[in-house]
Amino acid sequence: MSSKTMSKDLYGDKRMGFFIYLFVEAIMFSTLFATYIIYTPPQMGLYPGELFKLHTVVLASVFLLSSSGTLMIAEKGLDRKNARMILTGLLITFTFGATFMYFEVDEFYKFISEGHTVAKNNFLASYFVLVGLHASHVLFGLGWMIVLLIQRKLLPFNLFAEKHRIFNYYWHFVDIIWVLIVIIVYTPYLF
Amino acid sequence: MEINLFGKLILLPTDVIAAWVLMIITGPLVLYWLTKKRAWPVIWDYATSTHHRKIGTVYIIFSILFFFRAGVDALFIRLQLITPENQFWVFQGDKYNEIFTTHGTMMIFFVATPLLIGLMNVAVPLQIGANDLAFPYLNLVSVYLFVTGGMIFFAAFFFNAAPNAGWTAYAPLSTSTFTAGPNNNYYILGLQVSGLGTIFAAINMLVTILRLRAPGLKLTRMPLFPWASLITSFLILVAFPVLAIALLLLQFDRQFGSQFFMGELGHPVYWQHLFWIFGHPEVYILALPAFGIFSDIISAFSRKNVFGYTSMVAALALIGLLGLMVWAHHMFTVGLGPFANTFFAITTMMIAIPTGIKVFNWLFTMRKGVIRIQTPMLFALGFIPTFVMGGVTGVMLASAAADMQYHDTYFVVAHFHYVIIGSTVLGSFAGIYYWYPKITGKMLDDKLGKWHFWLFLIGFHLTFFPQHLAGLNGMPRRVYDYTWEDGVFVYNFISSIGAFMMGASMLIVLWNVYKTHRKKEENAGADPWDGRTLEWSVPSPSPEHPFEKMPVISRRDPLWWAKLEKKELPHTENHRASPVSVKTVQPMFLSVALTIMSFGFIYGWIWMQILGGAAALASFVIRAFNDERKPAYEREEMDNEQ
Amino acid sequence: MKKLAMIPILLILSGCNLRVLDPKSQTASDQAFLIYLSFGIMMFVVLVVALLFITFTVKYRETEKNRHDIPKHEEGNRTLEIIWTVFPIILLIGLAVPTVMITYDVSYIGASSDDNALHVNVTGEQFRWTFEYENGEKTHKTLVLPKDREVIFHLTSKDVIHSFWVPKLAGKIDVLPGEETRLKVTPEETGTYQGKCAEYCGTLHADMRFETKVIKQAEFQTWLSKK
Ligand code: HEM
Ligand SMILES: [Cu+2]
Ligand SMILES: [Cu+2]
Repeated sequence: MSSKTMSKDLYGDKRMGFFIYLFVEAIMFSTLFATYIIYTPPQMGLYPGELFKLHTVVLASVFLLSSSGTLMIAEKGLDRKNARMILTGLLITFTFGATFMYFEVDEFYKFISEGHTVAKNNFLASYFVLVGLHASHVLFGLGWMIVLLIQRKLLPFNLFAEKHRIFNYYWHFVDIIWVLIVIIVYTPYLF
Repeated sequence: MEINLFGKLILLPTDVIAAWVLMIITGPLVLYWLTKKRAWPVIWDYATSTHHRKIGTVYIIFSILFFFRAGVDALFIRLQLITPENQFWVFQGDKYNEIFTTHGTMMIFFVATPLLIGLMNVAVPLQIGANDLAFPYLNLVSVYLFVTGGMIFFAAFFFNAAPNAGWTAYAPLSTSTFTAGPNNNYYILGLQVSGLGTIFAAINMLVTILRLRAPGLKLTRMPLFPWASLITSFLILVAFPVLAIALLLLQFDRQFGSQFFMGELGHPVYWQHLFWIFGHPEVYILALPAFGIFSDIISAFSRKNVFGYTSMVAALALIGLLGLMVWAHHMFTVGLGPFANTFFAITTMMIAIPTGIKVFNWLFTMRKGVIRIQTPMLFALGFIPTFVMGGVTGVMLASAAADMQYHDTYFVVAHFHYVIIGSTVLGSFAGIYYWYPKITGKMLDDKLGKWHFWLFLIGFHLTFFPQHLAGLNGMPRRVYDYTWEDGVFVYNFISSIGAFMMGASMLIVLWNVYKTHRKKEENAGADPWDGRTLEWSVPSPSPEHPFEKMPVISRRDPLWWAKLEKKELPHTENHRASPVSVKTVQPMFLSVALTIMSFGFIYGWIWMQILGGAAALASFVIRAFNDERKPAYEREEMDNEQ
Repeated sequence: MKKLAMIPILLILSGCNLRVLDPKSQTASDQAFLIYLSFGIMMFVVLVVALLFITFTVKYRETEKNRHDIPKHEEGNRTLEIIWTVFPIILLIGLAVPTVMITYDVSYIGASSDDNALHVNVTGEQFRWTFEYENGEKTHKTLVLPKDREVIFHLTSKDVIHSFWVPKLAGKIDVLPGEETRLKVTPEETGTYQGKCAEYCGTLHADMRFETKVIKQAEFQTWLSKK
């Protein structure tokens, strides 16, 4: 067995496995989208349009979507083995992701403090479960980036690049889910 | 029994007390015995190794353990039902409900599913010439998740809180309004944890089969068990995520005040859709691997290749595909309307066609062969008529208007036991007898195996055949009582006797295993059955990374042809990289973390939820900084620089 | 194999006594017809399989003579495979067509064909039934119905899901909270029939039974007015 192609083979396995994992996540989110559609608008309580705020959605989207773009810097850095680019890309992405989380938490906090809780009606419940699950994915991604930032120096480059690339797929996937959330959850009730 | 503990009055039913007493007595005995036998190093080895054979063995051992537990539940059910207006021990009302729920849930999630995953773990890599599963570490995590989920569910009974809403947990009965208390939280958390493990196992299996096959072993040259595993894994990936979300929503209903599945605001029927979108594929997740095992066994013991290989594979795929489109046949009486009902009736009937193709192909594999009847083959032979009878009642159930009569009666109980026991349980027994030498290096006794088979099969038909008639005579399922006027006494009586025969047959298995390991017999050899596929080309028990020299495959049944032509299989040293194994205690840590978190959720103790959750997240971090591949990658970097 | 052969015998012996196969209304006899039909078709399949199974296992068993034979390699057989694909399709069509027809027949769709139909409100709750007649009268343990008059049940639940089932009159229909399901049936014979809850609904699910009394129309009127 030649060890020279080892990382290529093993990375191939891992990428395929991770894509399949994302397929699993996609099914989970589809189920939640279906749930949301079934229960929205609610039979009683506030209409979704009276609750959602356009500027929060737009701002949150701008930050999260552009974070997918800034992650490309890090990806380029991986291809060119450029440590600076990797670091810059990760740091900007992290900042944007964190800002997104700020808007999310803020929105949740407002809803809950105004009494729009899970127990109120099923529209709110499915909203919280769906958007909450997405937000927890973003949060997990933020933690993952911190780990990556530390790992930069500790791992052989091949292994680090592999872990980084897997993370990139994850982050882009979370972004796509957000786009779907904007389309399915927010847009129909904002205009 | 009432106990006064710290001023609080605690009511304990005698069955729970009996279980504790039994555990307190047998627990230390088992520990003593293990110590005396110096078994701890071996146990530690199995608990920390990522070798697929050892992981598969752990899957199988725990499934069998749970099989005995759920089997004892079944015997209690049958004792309570043995005569009309019977009062057996405590098993009336709620206790009865707990026991059939535990029986059903355990059999499906902690016996049938993991038993098959265990056999896949043992056999599939060897059959396709892979040195291990693609992700050995993840594989160890999977088995820990299964054991953890199973143990959480198992524990419920000891705290007098066994789930009681049926294995289908229909809402709104399963919501906290109607079943308060921790009982059904055990159901949710147990399934959630083990379900995650099943998903990981499926991902692992899929990547292994798609990417780690030996050179020349095209998909079209694979034996049928790997094929079945491939399609099953795909079904798992579609079905289990839906269950995960359904459970999550149910948990929100139970603990956080949402009303997804409650009467007024929510839709109880939505739970049924979600559950059966998972649940129907699940029955094919149980059946397909068994089909694969039988295909391999029937071919090997008839000394003939599989008849109609292509249509066998196509039928597997078709069954899998159709299996995703029939879920509402469990809901014919919900009032979905005649259009939906007939649609699902027809898709269901269509499944009979590929299934029929498989049955005939099995029969014609035997034709003109030389049928050697040893234990594994005997199980395969028992499977064909048994499963056909279950399939036949399946088509009868598919007829929507008629199902309004069968639905939720003992006719259905008979049907699904015929298919599940006929395929999964007989298949797993066959697989265990067949691959036992590959797992341990020893052969199970053939004579005792045959006794096991006959007692089990006859007991099985005695138990479940009369239940068809009980159902047609109007006996609903999930009842702890019936009257003399109901006219189902004879059926139930025969049924209970049959159940004890099945129970007795399992004692023979124990005796067989004991007998086999007592004597220091020499090794069974690499190829004790005169096999056809690659797993019989490696030593028994299969060593770690057996294919350092990778065989090059040019046709199906490579070993058979090599033996016929009296040649060695050609080998190559130049093949893709093998997965990296490791000894690790990390999954054990994760398991503890998840146990703490689950009990936090079950009893609503927030500090435990946070503690367990944080520990589970920490295990990700620990893992990130302890990657077993680091040394290998460092070596590669050095090699490439030179 | 003996067990397989026993099925028809057992069924013939006990068939007329089994409640589901002893219908007392058009609905239930339609359903019983489907059961017999599917059973017949399926028995044919079982017979074919049993025949092949017995022949092959007996004929090709390992013996002293053939112990060392190497059977011929055989990929498959196109003709045979087409036969066992097409033939079941035909059999299944034979079952599917009546299934569709009868499923539509027994389902309650829209308006009743009969203005004279009797409407009964059925409420399920843990663990009893309430039957409410058009004049507001209620019963719990017994459901009284007139012979030869169409009855339309309007069913709903106060708590969890139950299922309303009188095997001799019709297949079951689920009783859901927050929703109304319907069932129509015309009893054709007087008598007393068992009724049960068929959907697991909690602790005393087994005890959620009732009696259905079908009586002559005139008797029914007097019974109802006397209540
Ligand atoms: C050892 C022999 C077995 C016996 C005697 C047995 C007996 C029974 C009985 C009597 C019931 C009906 C309980 C009721 O409706 O009140 C039942 C339910 C069930 N059994 Fe078994 N069983 C056996 C093995 C299995 C196996 C191997 C499986 C699956 C792998 C299984 C899966 C189930 C399921 C899913 C239910 C439904 C539970 C529910 O209604 O929630 N059983 N069993
Ligand atoms: Cu199904
Ligand atoms: Cu009930």
